[in-house]
Amino acid sequence: MKYHLVTLGCQMNKSDSERTSTVIERMGYRWTDAEEEADILGILACSVRQKSIDKVYTRISKWNHRKKDRNLLTFVSGCILPADREKFLKLFDLVFTVDELPDLPSMIRQYGIVTPASLQSPAGVPGAEKGFEPATGLEPKKNPAEIRRFWKINPHYSSAFEAFIPIQNGCDKFCTFCAVPYTRGREVSRPSGEILAELRDLVEKGYKSITLLGQNVNSYGHDKLGDEIPFHQLLEKIGEFGKRSGKDFWVYFTSPHPRDMSEEVIDVIARYDCLAKQIHLPVQSGDDKVLIRMNRNHNIDRYREIVRSVRKKLPAATLFTDIIVGFTGETDEQFENTCRLMEEFRFNMAYIAMYSPRPGATSSRWKDDIPLETKKQRLQILTDELIRHNRVYNRSLVGKNLRVLVVGEDRKKGYLKALTEGRLIVRFPSDDRSLVGQFTEVRINSAADFSLEGENLAIIEELNES
Amino acid sequence: MTSVKTKSNIFSVLGTRHLTNSTYIVRIERNGMEFEAGQYISLGLPGTTDKREYSIYSGMHEDYLEVLVKEIDDGVVSKQLKLLQPGAKTAMDGPFGFFTLETEQRSGGRLVFIASGTGIAPFHSFIKSYPSLDYRLIHGVKYGDEAYESQNYDPARYMLCSSRDSRGNYRGRVSGYLGENPPDPDADYYLCGNSNMIHDVYDILKENGVDGGRIHAEVYF
Repeated sequence: MKYHLVTLGCQMNKSDSERTSTVIERMGYRWTDAEEEADILGILACSVRQKSIDKVYTRISKWNHRKKDRNLLTFVSGCILPADREKFLKLFDLVFTVDELPDLPSMIRQYGIVTPASLQSPAGVPGAEKGFEPATGLEPKKNPAEIRRFWKINPHYSSAFEAFIPIQNGCDKFCTFCAVPYTRGREVSRPSGEILAELRDLVEKGYKSITLLGQNVNSYGHDKLGDEIPFHQLLEKIGEFGKRSGKDFWVYFTSPHPRDMSEEVIDVIARYDCLAKQIHLPVQSGDDKVLIRMNRNHNIDRYREIVRSVRKKLPAATLFTDIIVGFTGETDEQFENTCRLMEEFRFNMAYIAMYSPRPGATSSRWKDDIPLETKKQRLQILTDELIRHNRVYNRSLVGKNLRVLVVGEDRKKGYLKALTEGRLIVRFPSDDRSLVGQFTEVRINSAADFSLEGENLAIIEELNES
Repeated sequence: MTSVKTKSNIFSVLGTRHLTNSTYIVRIERNGMEFEAGQYISLGLPGTTDKREYSIYSGMHEDYLEVLVKEIDDGVVSKQLKLLQPGAKTAMDGPFGFFTLETEQRSGGRLVFIASGTGIAPFHSFIKSYPSLDYRLIHGVKYGDEAYESQNYDPARYMLCSSRDSRGNYRGRVSGYLGENPPDPDADYYLCGNSNMIHDVYDILKENGVDGGRIHAEVYF
């Protein structure tokens, strides 16, 4: 019995797919890379762009065609807008929200068609014995108890050294370009005890890079009205554990909202070695009026305050951001303000996207009035700026020794790829696969626009000794 | 920091007040829902996928919730809500939003509220919730009959700017009024309404030396 999952979209979906794999594998299924061999085919959908939703329709059409020849079961979960959910109910055997995942074995057993899964006895997942109610609601479920059951599932981690821990689900910010509040529902924080237990377990198993995930990760605890610790205290507990554990690991978080980025968060990152000195802080635009239209609930002065504090208290930290160019109504002057912002903050990485209306988001009801050509030009201008700043920054690292985590083989033959604490890409010559998942130190010899190249110091030392 | 309990529920309609042909107030049960003046809820009919966000119009101390709705020509929800009779059900989600007053602003700070059209809703909630506010309310409308329930405001603090008739205290747009009456740079400004008004006023405030941190905006779409 085999299964195949298609995961679209962000890290949150990737993390959700690790838990989905756990539930399916507990029913006795094994993963297959080949879709045509699978008895269960599932999709974790993403509603951020129409293109991602189109991929779901393409896949299910193919899968339903295959049903003529063999007995298989299809499902879709993840980020789904109510309007798409209605359509998916006619195409997939099962449509459910991620918080209903613990009920998947019951759903399959009671679905009524004979599949290997439907012949299985109850799987030992929380809630599996609970009565199954068909998932026919058009709106995403918003019951915090449901998502808490989901978090109790132990994920089937796809890496042996990098892992994601969901700490919060949903969003209450209602940025006008984004549909997440409509697909994932309201902000719900996971109990801190569970988060810390999962983190401790990962560290004990030797994980080196752990990312705390949430749509607004630093709004953690706000929904609990004082019944849960705030985000900076969660980080503090992680920092204390890191100190006591004697283990080497880096903890990241993504993505925070500037509105909730407090001084306490920056202070606590500065205090503990295991809290990685890398801040990913989406700004989206350098113009206050565009930020108002985006309903971002902060202005550039507020963003500047945070960056100043980061530069002062975390001088070695790298700064990443997200920017949208060509948002509805963005004038040349407003775009110029974003260029000025790029010059001022000199980001180490900016994920720059041309605006496209996202189905279900408020801004999808407005005219997308910036021509594609203009969007492309603006994207190019900002990308050029980013490259220029990176070149200068990366060159300043030449000659330095940097601690890196080796993450795999590089595209360049005979090289391994690694990441610094600040998530800068470093490649170095080596074919020693045993280094993957380990920390090492690299002397930087040269710098490219978005990467660094160097030599593994352990090897240099070995050569010197011999 | 705003901190409120979020509820997602079916709430009954208590009544509707029609203020003009296209603008009305829907009153629904509150059922103990906590909110801060200035926040909004998401409202629609149960079993449908369409919902829209509306600022809460009523005060924090009232035992019902009210929203001020402008019927949109090609709208869906605003037309559905208009037809609701007492006892009908609505699907409500919320409250949400950060367009609220900080403690120091509630206790003596000089406040200027600037609204266009139904953007007056959160200011109505502010004034009902915090009766001792030191505020000025500048309301921009096209016609004088859109001065929604203006009797609820202290006449000495209320300025109606009417752009297409002479029934306001000032004939013209809010931006025209502010151009002729330069704003106080030491006040806190809350802007709510359509984005054109907000962008125009934002520029005027900045030109007059108002710090960006003192300008708070909620755009209606």
